[in-house]
Amino acid sequence: MTGRTIVLASEVPFPPSVEDFYLPSIVPWGGHDYWFTKITLLLWITVAMLIIFFLVAYRKPKLVPTKRQWLAESIYGFVRNNIAVDMIGKEGVRFAPYLTTLFCFIFVMNLWGIVPMAQISPNSHIAFPIILALISWVMFIYLGFKKHGIGYIKFALVPPAPWFILPILVPIEFFSNFIVRPFSLAIRLFANMFAGHMLLLVFTLGGFAMINANALLTPISILSWLMTIALTFLDFAVIALQAYVFTVLTASYIQGSLAESH
Amino acid sequence: MAGQQPPSEPRKDDAYEPVNSGSGYVAISYLIGGMVVWGGIGWLVDQWLGTKGIAMGIGAVVGGAAGVYLIARRLGA
Repeated sequence: MTGRTIVLASEVPFPPSVEDFYLPSIVPWGGHDYWFTKITLLLWITVAMLIIFFLVAYRKPKLVPTKRQWLAESIYGFVRNNIAVDMIGKEGVRFAPYLTTLFCFIFVMNLWGIVPMAQISPNSHIAFPIILALISWVMFIYLGFKKHGIGYIKFALVPPAPWFILPILVPIEFFSNFIVRPFSLAIRLFANMFAGHMLLLVFTLGGFAMINANALLTPISILSWLMTIALTFLDFAVIALQAYVFTVLTASYIQGSLAESH
Repeated sequence: MAGQQPPSEPRKDDAYEPVNSGSGYVAISYLIGGMVVWGGIGWLVDQWLGTKGIAMGIGAVVGGAAGVYLIARRLGA
């Protein structure tokens, strides 16, 4: 990583492109056709971190919680009360474990975007948001059919309206309920992480590009790097917000499937 | 020290039915969805008849109106 940075400093590939998201293989025995990249590594670390953290935190639960237990309980309590129960109602409690897992997973995956040395979020590859969105999509459709039976199709597609407007309304319902939802979930998360990484790249590499082009531009390069630091903080806000929004929307779709008729 | 109670922390199990906080997103998706779906169908009609965007324009307007109607129906009551 350090070696690469030094290379970058001498001959900066500016502007950054989509190619910068396709990282080289990092298996220790070399070779470029291995699939094990930094993205893969970060994914595995994320999963391992979450499993170990929650297992350790809840191993010997105490009435007066330790610091670790307090943190785990706060996260779970936040998702349970402020997302699951707030959005879905009483029934939401049984979805709280999944929603907590989802929230923590997205948050940590996003967080890699600003962690030094990692500096890229796996969620900036659209495959990860697509899988997460597909899980939400399958889940709310499954829950809808489980709750309403085959009547879910009518429940989801046919609004209460006079029969002669229905031919206009049903395609819109289908489009916005079953096509836009998974797309917007996946693309919202992916685009935010992609843009965040791109912004940081532009300001960092742009600083190098300017300082290489002309020594007189040094103050502007420094300004550019200061902007990088400011943008990192902005990125943190985006990271937390996107994890929250994804979880809230998933809960909202579940609520929509479980609702009684309108 | 009588009457000292443990801090009550409501667990919200008996909370009221939630206000539907997702309704903002629903409204936007209906509006855009209406215009995109019927504008798209209009575009297909344009291709079929060889007209230049007339059907698409009509479709987008009708779709937008239908989207507003859907929002009123689904979220207004």
